[in-house]
Amino acid sequence: MSQQDPSTINGGIVVAMTGKDCVAIACDLRLGSQSLGVANNFEKIYQYGKVFIGFTGLATDALTLSSDLKYKHNLYKLKENRGIQPEVFANLISSTLYEKRFGPYFSTPVVAGLNEKTGEPYVAGFDCIGCIDAARDFIVAGTASDQLFGMCEALYEPNLEPEDLFETISQALLNAADRDAISGWGAAVYMITKDKVTKTYLKTRQD
Amino acid sequence: MMTGQHGSQPIQHQFNPYSDNGGTLLGIAGEDFAILASDTRQSVDYSINTRLSHKIKAISPSLTAEFKAQNPKMIGTKNSILFGTNGFSADGDALTRQFEENWKWYVHDQNKSAMSMQSAARNVQHLLYGKRFFPYYVHTIICGLDEEGKGCLYSFDPVGSYEREQCRVGGAGASLIMPFLDNQVNFKNQYIPGTNSTERRKVDYLSLDECLKLVKDAFTSVTERHITVGDGLEIFIIDKNGVRCEYHDLKKD
Amino acid sequence: MTGLSFDNHQRNQHLQSQHNVSFKTTSTGTTIVGIKFDNGVVIAADTRSTQGPIVADKNCEKLHRMAPKIWCAGAGTAADTEAVTQLIGSKLELQQLYTKREPRVVSSLQMLKQHLFKHQGHLGAYLIVAGVDPTGAHLFSVQAHGSTDVGYYQSLGSGSLAAMAVLESEYKMNMTKDEAIKLASDAIEAGIWNDLGSGSNVDVCVMEIGKDAQLLRNYRTPNVREVKEKSYKFARGTTGILRTEVIAEYEIDTSV
Repeated sequence: MSQQDPSTINGGIVVAMTGKDCVAIACDLRLGSQSLGVANNFEKIYQYGKVFIGFTGLATDALTLSSDLKYKHNLYKLKENRGIQPEVFANLISSTLYEKRFGPYFSTPVVAGLNEKTGEPYVAGFDCIGCIDAARDFIVAGTASDQLFGMCEALYEPNLEPEDLFETISQALLNAADRDAISGWGAAVYMITKDKVTKTYLKTRQD
Repeated sequence: MMTGQHGSQPIQHQFNPYSDNGGTLLGIAGEDFAILASDTRQSVDYSINTRLSHKIKAISPSLTAEFKAQNPKMIGTKNSILFGTNGFSADGDALTRQFEENWKWYVHDQNKSAMSMQSAARNVQHLLYGKRFFPYYVHTIICGLDEEGKGCLYSFDPVGSYEREQCRVGGAGASLIMPFLDNQVNFKNQYIPGTNSTERRKVDYLSLDECLKLVKDAFTSVTERHITVGDGLEIFIIDKNGVRCEYHDLKKD
Repeated sequence: MTGLSFDNHQRNQHLQSQHNVSFKTTSTGTTIVGIKFDNGVVIAADTRSTQGPIVADKNCEKLHRMAPKIWCAGAGTAADTEAVTQLIGSKLELQQLYTKREPRVVSSLQMLKQHLFKHQGHLGAYLIVAGVDPTGAHLFSVQAHGSTDVGYYQSLGSGSLAAMAVLESEYKMNMTKDEAIKLASDAIEAGIWNDLGSGSNVDVCVMEIGKDAQLLRNYRTPNVREVKEKSYKFARGTTGILRTEVIAEYEIDTSV
């Protein structure tokens, strides 16, 4: 039986946006096998200290990559005795992915966090061999990345307050997911500010 | 010895009759108007063929001297049909020409002043399905006013499957703009604040002004993120007064 | 940590035999140029990176520092240009520490071409290498398979023809620094406007003999987005919510 591209077997999307002294990252909750929905509680965002990373693409590779990075993050904490900064984590991910240049993981991660020194919001995306895309505004990834690009480019404006950024990132995610057959089935949004991180589950279509 | 898919077998070359000329086409039907817009870039691979191509044609009964004097900026009557194609532009042009021909003969033979949107749509279906096994490689959208004077839009796939809709995007930027229109025209995923996410935001016809803003923002957005969209934006508007056309610059990179 | 791992290679080969595998990498569609002038050399690049027909990054950096006065403009697979440039960059630094001499452009060129040749073109890096060293100012280009070229002006990437058209018609020997910067920027702009793989801004790096190299990031910004017709800020409470939880309460560090 012939299937298609490994990065579109399981489906799923992640999006991250910067705001005024805050950063948000959101994912859908679907895990599928082609058109068959398998799980509606498959969260794609992981926490590493104060850095949040969303993994899209082939679920098995996303999971492998997320635990490899957990291991590397633990070693970093033990060696350095401090938390990792998002910029540093981005470079760690880049070299981890590039190590497998000729046999890549079919996963495209998205990093979001606040730099603890400067308080600056930071988001970054990658291709599957570790090229960093450090944007100032937003990063999208997954099977509905085209839809997300369109949504974000139209809805986004800089320096939104956390409450407004929440609405913008949620609407971008929800409407993009609704135009992709293999994304959706629930959504979670993380809002990261200096002294608080909230996680919100969204009300979404269930088809 | 080679073991992969390549190398062991001879390569077969074949003539490819189609090419992708990029671009995006967008239509919205309002209460008493309809608009059809497209960018004016025509490209192939990484090259721009022209920065001012016309993907939309207003097919209109001939304008009387009286009409021209009263409406100097109008390029068509309210009985016009806005005919837009996007995809392989040679096929798009051929289809547009064929439809225009049909439209003229229809008006002449039936001794009518124009063709209804319903009939136009059915005719386009026949033109497209007539080439079922060597299709016109285009996404087609036609706009006009229906028999009650309401905004009307029909969209077609390359082999003639069609539907009347409120709004539709075709072409390269379709996947980028369509969710935006769902959100901003049909208010998808929006609830009324304070109702505890139980009451959906009411959908109502948008004003022409509001629609034009959405169209412009949709195109500037997709120009940012899609390499085959840009250069210029042509917006055709049809309402009870007739057809007019607006042009706006888009980024040229 | 050193070298590449081929752990997934067999698995992916298997996948490839069963499925239509096509992982998309970010490619810098790109226009890059390099020009020599009377007292140095200048390189320039556009700032668009693409994944197929979609713009992945509107303002990426294609000018890489390999040594303080040796810079490299990269086209092709973005991850490869970045990695190869960092690798040779760190090798140059070690060599400098070991030999107590300033790194030379020819040695960086030799290291790059040997590395790329070793990988038989599988590293999709197309580079313009430029810099100043004790032997003067130099300008080279390297192809992914390891071949190199020397010249007074070079262009590479999908917009190289557009850029070369400008270079061929405008280049003259012994230009001043300002003339060279203008010509390089004009050549990049030709790529930005006429090649769909290139776009956004112009980055320039000037390397003048006897001076520090100067990176002019976003030297020209001819593609600033105009303001939108309206704001798409939503009324708070528009999005449907199931539940919210506070997942981490950070202590505010009050120590000095």
